[in-house]
Amino acid sequence: MLFHPAIMALLLADALTLILLLPAGLFALRLLRHWDLNSGSARQIRLERQTYLVATVLGFVFAVQLVSLLLLVFTADRLAVQFVGAMCAVGTFNVNPFGFPALFLKLALFFLASAWLFMNHVDNRAPDYPLTRVKYGLLLVVLPVAALAAVVQVRYFLGLQADVITSCCGSLFSGEKTVTAELAGMPPLQAMIGFYSVLGATVLGGLFALWRRRGALVFSALSAVAFPVAIAAVIAFLSLYIYEHPHHHCPFCLLKAEYGYVGYLVYLPLFVASALGVALGVTLPFARAATLQPIMTRITPRVVAMATSLFMLCMVLFTWFSWRSNLVLLG
Amino acid sequence: MTDAFIELRGVRKAYNEGLPNQFWAVDGVDLMLERGRVTLLTGPSGSGKTTLLTLLGCLARPTEGRVRVAGQDVSSLPERFLTEQRRHNFGFVFQQFNLIRGLSVLDNVMLPAFPLAPPHGALRARALQLLGELGLAHRSDARVEWLSGGEAQRTAIARALINDPPVVIADEPTANLDTHLSKAFLAIVERLKDEGRTVILSSHDALVAEASIVDRIVSLRDGKVVG
Repeated sequence: MLFHPAIMALLLADALTLILLLPAGLFALRLLRHWDLNSGSARQIRLERQTYLVATVLGFVFAVQLVSLLLLVFTADRLAVQFVGAMCAVGTFNVNPFGFPALFLKLALFFLASAWLFMNHVDNRAPDYPLTRVKYGLLLVVLPVAALAAVVQVRYFLGLQADVITSCCGSLFSGEKTVTAELAGMPPLQAMIGFYSVLGATVLGGLFALWRRRGALVFSALSAVAFPVAIAAVIAFLSLYIYEHPHHHCPFCLLKAEYGYVGYLVYLPLFVASALGVALGVTLPFARAATLQPIMTRITPRVVAMATSLFMLCMVLFTWFSWRSNLVLLG
Repeated sequence: MTDAFIELRGVRKAYNEGLPNQFWAVDGVDLMLERGRVTLLTGPSGSGKTTLLTLLGCLARPTEGRVRVAGQDVSSLPERFLTEQRRHNFGFVFQQFNLIRGLSVLDNVMLPAFPLAPPHGALRARALQLLGELGLAHRSDARVEWLSGGEAQRTAIARALINDPPVVIADEPTANLDTHLSKAFLAIVERLKDEGRTVILSSHDALVAEASIVDRIVSLRDGKVVG
C-alpha cells in the first residue's frame, strides 16, 4: 500500500518538511538567542539575511502542508474501496489506531501553518523585521506538531493492511459514548440555531470590523469558534439533508462522487475562512510596531473581507443544500 | 543633532568571505554624510573607494556594521527594499557611464523612471529638460554609441537625475575626461550642489580634490578612513 502514488506523495511531503524544518528549527533557536537589531555585528547581519532564505523555504514547506491535508483526506476516501467494511474515508482512517490522530494532527498543522504563513507575509512587508522573533518562536511551536504529524502519518500508512476488516461511518456516528455520536445525536434544530447564530455573529463581526475599522480580533476569535461549530453542523444536519437520509451523519461521504463532491465545495471556503481568521488573530496582538501600522491597515480589511465572504458563502451553501433537499427534518 | 543623510557605523565589507582569499575591501568605517554637501572619497587604487560608494548607494550590503539612509537601516534589507531606496534616493554616474547601446540618448535618460510609471509625456518633457540644461538637447535622438566622452558623461548625469534623487553618486567621474571636460563636469556638480543635492564623488584626480565645490575629503587606505 505504501507504493500508492498519493501515499508516496504524502510521505515525500512529510520527509521534505522534516528535512527542511529541522535545520530551520536550529536556526530559530540561534535567532531567538542572538537576535539584536541594535547590533551591527557580522552575526546579526548574517541572521537578518538568513531569515529571508529560511522564511522562503518555510513558506514552501507550509504551503505543501496546506495541500497535504486535502490530499490525505482525498487519499483516504479513494483507498476506501480496498478495505472490507470501509465505505468512505472514515473506514480508511479506522483501519488502525493512527488514522484519526494523523488526520487531527494534519488539521492542527494546517491552522498553525496558515498562521505562520500569514505572519511571515506581514513581516516581510516591513523593512525592520518587526515580527521576526515572534514568527521564529511560532516555528518552534509548529515544529513538534509537524514532526509528530509526520511520525503518526508514517505509522498509519505502515499499518494499512488490506486484510483488516474496518468499520464504516455508520458505526462512528452511532452509539452513545463518542463525541461524534453525540454530535450526530444533536437535534437538527438545535444544531441549526447554533450554526446560524455563530456563523451569523462571525459575519456580522466581519462586517463591523470592515465598517468601523476595529474589532478584527473579535472577528478572529469568532472565526476560531465558527470552524468547530460548522463541522458539528455538517454532522448534525447538513449531511442528513445532502444524503436525504435521517441517520447518515458522515462528513466524509460528502467528498464522494455520488454526492457530486459537494464536500469540497463546503469545506474549502470553511477551512480557508477559518484559517484566515485564526491567522489574523495570531498576528494582530504582535503587530504593534510603527512600521506595521500602515501594512496592517491595508492587509487587515482585505483578510477580514475575504474571510467574511467565505463564511457567508458557507452559510449560503448550507442553506441551499438544506433547502433543496427532499428530506424533511423540521416541521 | 546633525543632519546626516547617510550614516555608517563600523562598516566592513569582505569579498570571498570565508575563503582563503578573503579580502576586506572596507574595514571599519564610521562616516556621516550631511545633506547638500559635496564629499570626495579619495585614495589610491584598491583603497576601497568604489566599494564604499556601493555601500553608500545601497548597491551592496555590508558584511558587518550598519548603514542608515535617511534614518532607515539598510544594512541587510532584501533587494526589493534596496531597490526602492536606490530608486528614490540615489542617482548614479558610473565610471564607464554604463549607457545602453542601441538606445537613443533620450531613451537612456528616461529608462530609470520606467518602473515608477510616471505619465509618459511628463517623463519625456523632464528628460528633454535635463538634456537641455546639460547642453545635449540637440543629441536627444542620437544613439549613445555615437556620443563623445563628454556627451556620454552628461547623458549619464541626466539619467542619474531623472528620478530627482537627493543624492548623486559618481565613481571616478573624470577618469575618462580631459581637463576641459573635467572642469565642465565640476561646474555641473556645483549646480547640483546649488540645487540642494548631496553629491558623493570618488576620485584620485587632483583637479577634483582641489575644486572649491568639494566640502569634505575622505581619504581611504586599505579600506580604512585615514583622513
